[in-house]
Parts: sequence; C-alpha cells; structure tokens
Amino acid sequence: MGNFLNSNDSLEFVKDEFRKYYKDNSVELPDRFGRREFAFVLFGGKGIIRHLGFEKINQFTDFLKEKTPGDIYYSSAYYQIPDAPTMQEKNWMGAELIFDLDSDHLPNAEKLDYTQQLKMVKKEFFKLVDDFLLNDFGFDEKYIELYFSGGRGYHCHVKDPKILNIDSSERREIIDYITGRDLKDSLVFHEQVTDRKSYGNRSFPSGKTLKMPRPDEPGWRGRVSRGIIEMVNEIKKSDDPIEKLKEYGVKKSDAEKLLDDLSEERIKRIKEGRLDQSKTIRKFFLNSALRKTAVSMSAGETDEPVTCDVKRLIRLPASLHRKTGFKVEKITLETLMEFDPLRDAVVLPDNPVKIELNQPFGITIKKEEFNLKQGIQELPTYLAVFLIGRKKAKIIL
Amino acid sequence: MVELSLLSKYPFLNASKEYIKDNNLSIQEILDDPLYERARIIGVERVDNAFSKRDVGERSLVTDSDQIMELLSYPIARMIAVCIDDIFFKRRYALGEAIHAYRNLINESPLFLINITNEFKINIKFDKDTHKISIYFVDYLHHAPTRYKEWKMINRGMKNGYIQISHKDLARIIQEALRTRINNELDERKCSKSVYETFSSDIKRIQNSVMLHRKNIEAAPIGKLDNKKLPPCMKNILAAIQAGENVPHMGRFALVSFLHSLRLSNNEILKLFSTAPDYEEERTRYQVEHITGYSSSTAYSPPGCDKMRTYGICPTEEIDELCKKKRHPLSYYKAKWKQEKPKK
Repeated sequence: MGNFLNSNDSLEFVKDEFRKYYKDNSVELPDRFGRREFAFVLFGGKGIIRHLGFEKINQFTDFLKEKTPGDIYYSSAYYQIPDAPTMQEKNWMGAELIFDLDSDHLPNAEKLDYTQQLKMVKKEFFKLVDDFLLNDFGFDEKYIELYFSGGRGYHCHVKDPKILNIDSSERREIIDYITGRDLKDSLVFHEQVTDRKSYGNRSFPSGKTLKMPRPDEPGWRGRVSRGIIEMVNEIKKSDDPIEKLKEYGVKKSDAEKLLDDLSEERIKRIKEGRLDQSKTIRKFFLNSALRKTAVSMSAGETDEPVTCDVKRLIRLPASLHRKTGFKVEKITLETLMEFDPLRDAVVLPDNPVKIELNQPFGITIKKEEFNLKQGIQELPTYLAVFLIGRKKAKIIL
Repeated sequence: MVELSLLSKYPFLNASKEYIKDNNLSIQEILDDPLYERARIIGVERVDNAFSKRDVGERSLVTDSDQIMELLSYPIARMIAVCIDDIFFKRRYALGEAIHAYRNLINESPLFLINITNEFKINIKFDKDTHKISIYFVDYLHHAPTRYKEWKMINRGMKNGYIQISHKDLARIIQEALRTRINNELDERKCSKSVYETFSSDIKRIQNSVMLHRKNIEAAPIGKLDNKKLPPCMKNILAAIQAGENVPHMGRFALVSFLHSLRLSNNEILKLFSTAPDYEEERTRYQVEHITGYSSSTAYSPPGCDKMRTYGICPTEEIDELCKKKRHPLSYYKAKWKQEKPKK
C-alpha cells in the first residue's frame, strides 16, 4: 500500500484547489476584526500558527493569497493587543458565546458512518438552538449565527452584547444547564401527601403520591416532564415496546415489569403529573428524559473545555476545512432543518481528477451516490479533496 | 429624599453618599469633630464585629442621632478596613456588611428590594398581579451563589432568559452583589494617612488579631500534606477558597476528593477550608463528609485531568512540564514525592 499520509503531491493538489477557492471567494471576517487573534494550520506545516493579528483587511487577504492555509481560525475573544505572544499581555476585552457540537461527542458515534453522524449532530444542534438558546435563554434571533463546521459538526455563535463579558465559570454554568449536569431530582419530583390518618390528636400521612412537574412549567422541570410523557407515548405506541425500552438501556426483565406497570390508568396518571412508580423506575424516567432532552455536547471523559473557554479559537466562516474541503457554511434558522452539509457545503469544482483509493468507500454527496472500490479511479475534484483529507486516497498525476 | 432611618440601615446606597454631601460633611470633620465620636466608635465596632461575628452588628436606631451615627460609621469602617490592608480581612469585612444587609433586606417588601437592585444594575421583572419576581439570567450568573447545587441555573425555572426567584433569593442575590462591590471598592482604595493616624491603635490591634488568626491556621499541622507538591489546579482552588473567592461546586469537590485520597481526615480538610471568610463549619462539614463517604456510603474519587479541563478548572496557562506528562492530579503529587527521594 502506498504512503497515503505524507504524499506531497496530494497536499499540493489540495492546496492548489484551496488557492483557487480563496482567489474567487471571500471569507466572512468577524466584527472587531482588528481586535481578534488569528491562527492557521498550513499545508504540510507542523502544528498551529497562533497569535497573529491584522490591522487591515487587505493584510489578511494578502496573507491568504500568499500562504493558502489549510485551516483558518479566529478568536471568539477580542483583545486590546491580539497579537501579543502571551494571553496575559493580550488583555481580554470580551468574547462571544460559542457552542461547538461535534459528532465526536455523541454517544456511540464511532458506530455510525460520516453521513449518519452529521444527521445525529444536527438533531442535537437543533435542540440546542431552538429549545435552549431561543426558548429558555430567550436570545434574540438576530444575535444567533449558525454554521456548519466543514468537518463533523456545527457551530453556534451568540453575539448578544449582554453576554460578551461573562467569565469562564459563568459560561460553565450555561453549559451545565444545556447538558443537564447536576440536575437535582428532588427539585423535579416531590412527594405529596394524599391522605392523613388521625390517632388521638396527632395526624400522620397515610398515602403519598410522587408528583411530577407539569409539561408547561419553565426550565428543566417542564422539560423533564415533557420528556417522560413523550417516552411513555413512544413506548406504548411502539410495535415492540420491550425492544424500545432496551434502547433506553433497560434490562429485559425490568422492561417487562415496567410495561406491566404502564397500564392505561397509569399513563393517564403520569400525564396528570402523578408518577407513582418505584424508586428505580423513577430514576430510570428521570435519567432517560434527561438524556433525551439535554444536548450532548461532550461525552464526558475526553474533551477540551469548549464554550466556557473564553479564549478559544473558532473556524472562520466561509473558509475551507483542511480535512474535507467543505466550506464553513452559514445556515439560517429557517433553513437549518433542510440543511444538508453534503450538498450545501460542497463548494469545490467537479472537474475529474485521478486518485488512488486505499479502501472501498461509499457516500452520497451532491445528491450523487458513490460506491467506490479500492484502486485508481477518476472522481470529481470535491470528492477527491474529501478523500485525500480523510487520508483514504492519494492523487495520481 | 430617602428617609434617614432607611439610609442608616442600608448605608451602602448611593442616597447615603448624597446625604453626606448634602449636609456638607467633610471626611476631616467625621474623623476629628468630637460631635462624631460615637460614629467613630461604631465604625470600629463594625470592623470588629465583621471579623469576629461575620456581621457588622445591630444597634439601636431609634433617634435621629442614632441613625446619623450609624450612617456615618459605614464610611469610617470601610476606611479602617482599607488601612488594615490584609486581603483576608477585607474579604471578611465585606462579607460582614453584606450579611448584615441581607438580614435587614429579608424583612423588606419586594418593591424595596427591586429598587435596590436598580442601583446594582440588576435586571428584575416583577409581576404586580402574581407577585412573582424574576431575574435576567446574565445578572443571575453574575451574582447568584451558583457554587451551591440548589443555586445552579439548571435547578431553577428559566423562560425567555428570566429565572423566577423568591423574595429571599433576591435578598441573597443583593447580598452577593454588595459583597462583590465592597470587595472591589476596598481593593481600589488606598489607606489615607489621616484615617491611619486617627485609628492607629485600633488598626494595629486588629492587624495583630488577623495575624494571630492566620498563624493559628497555618500552624495547624495538616496531615502529611506538602503544599509545595500540589499540582497547579489544586493550588489554585485552595488559594481561591482561602482567599474567600467563589469556587464553583466542582472545584470544591475536586479539592476535597483529592485531599481525601491523600488520606487527610475530614477534620484536616475542614481546617483548610476554615480560613475562608465565608466559612460555615456545619455546612462545610456536611459537604466534606458527603464527598469523603462518611455520610454517603460512597467515597468519590478525585477527577482526572481530562475532567478537570472539561470543567474549566484546569489552569491551562499555568500547567508545568510535569502536568503535561500526567493525566491525574494525584499522579502529579506522587511524582513530586518521587522526584525528591533520590536527592536524599
């Protein structure tokens, strides 16, 4: 097998395509342009070049033409001296709130192919924007910008002036809210005494019911409630409820027991907000509803700080992603549902080039289905760049 | 014109400054004139109480004179606090003022509280029909003590950016906002010579007791813990707690579980926390015992570096070479011990 990792020809080919793209297209520069730090990964370069600042836009465009970087980033923060070599000297002035959803962070992502991962992460992204940012946080649409990352995820930039100067721990709080961390179940469910018995002149509770919040309550209480009702409906409607429950991670024996418990009467009671279930079932409902309604932003163990990092770098809109050749494409709220990255972010030309593929590969891109065999073949440029970026192919000159 | 009786209860209000200005009272007068001797005595009392009782104290406010002296004692106390020139003491004094204000605020009407929040530029909505109070989430983030689990935003109802809070919650938020404001103001000011001269004996006396207090803490042996070998993250959290800064829940958790893993007893851990200006023995004991498994049946293990980073409590700019090689704060600490051994 040839060396697919360090082929100079392949790099030069991709770089040339990028050069042509940046010659004919302009990138979207952030506001407060002169106060931002910029960073680049060059083709064939080692690591990231950081701490660059540009005073004038034409300096930046000249840089692009001269270097043709593979990845372009800018700082979500703006600084007094953006090109100072250390963070302290830069003097932080504020930062947008950035949400970076990547399919890496989704549970079981490794079992899915690229297209499926993109679909799944879009679902999470929609939840984040619609349910949390617009609804709970009440951000004005005009302050929210959405982008496809060019790789495996989506970015959301919140530019509301009110949040620009919140600090790192305050940003952490926002993330905890969105990812459902530290939800106190006693605040969601509470026991209510339904009956009392008197002995002499003292009375004791004799009946208790577990109260669940109403679906229209604000914040997480309503969200958990809606999640539970939706789940119960899903389980009841499903052809194979046991299988459905297993999807939620319930053992078969428990699932059977749970299903027995879910009589019509019970379901009615749950919808009225009375969750008279055993402790384990209650826990199951809470955890599943939480997982269902929270945004999977980081699967916990291995993740860099994302949104709460007030100094993070983010991909420049309308730039290209080195590992796919796809564009960091702006999406509007209205078009998010229909957005298909494998159609809408593919911007490189389709003139054919010859490549050698090191493994069979299938993908539907620009509405065309490709079922590629290993070996030398001619493919449209955009697909060739994608395969080279994914280290699955090299160029044949 | 705000009533004098209110100003004396809430001397931090802008209206109090105006009152002093309108009455043409100069600082020199307040410091020298025998007329204000009582205000100066109360000023010292405020500072003493803040240090020893975590509350600047309640005094009779019946007569006009009571009220004027109380009002004037506030700027005096602050000037003394600045001259004592000790970060721990300044934090403790600010806390004492804030707690005192809170104890009065919980008895006031919602509208009164909302008026005060205007002064702190806190965005509050009040529904006149339902009497429900809600606060804009950014202001909530700035001021609410989200280091406690029940104050975390997730455990509050939020809609359209507004979080519904109780009257008592609002008083607590004002307490925190006031504490931050006094902290910042004290840090900005410098000790004035005339204040130092007027109160020099009290200032020295208090400086001595602060020093004694600090020594008591430092002299207390803390197990086998060697501060110098702590990884930067734990050093930061410990320093922040001891300086009385807000440390998020996860930071406290990380430190306690870390120290527990180093076989420090609960009492030893508590001792470390006890230097914090807002230390409450009972509450802290409960939290520590929960984490160390004394009262919860599970002893939690300390988070690794990945998790610390995820929670944003790994000081990424301060990590050293050893950090880069290690994936867990505990292994950092152990490696530091090993590094030392060959030298012996």
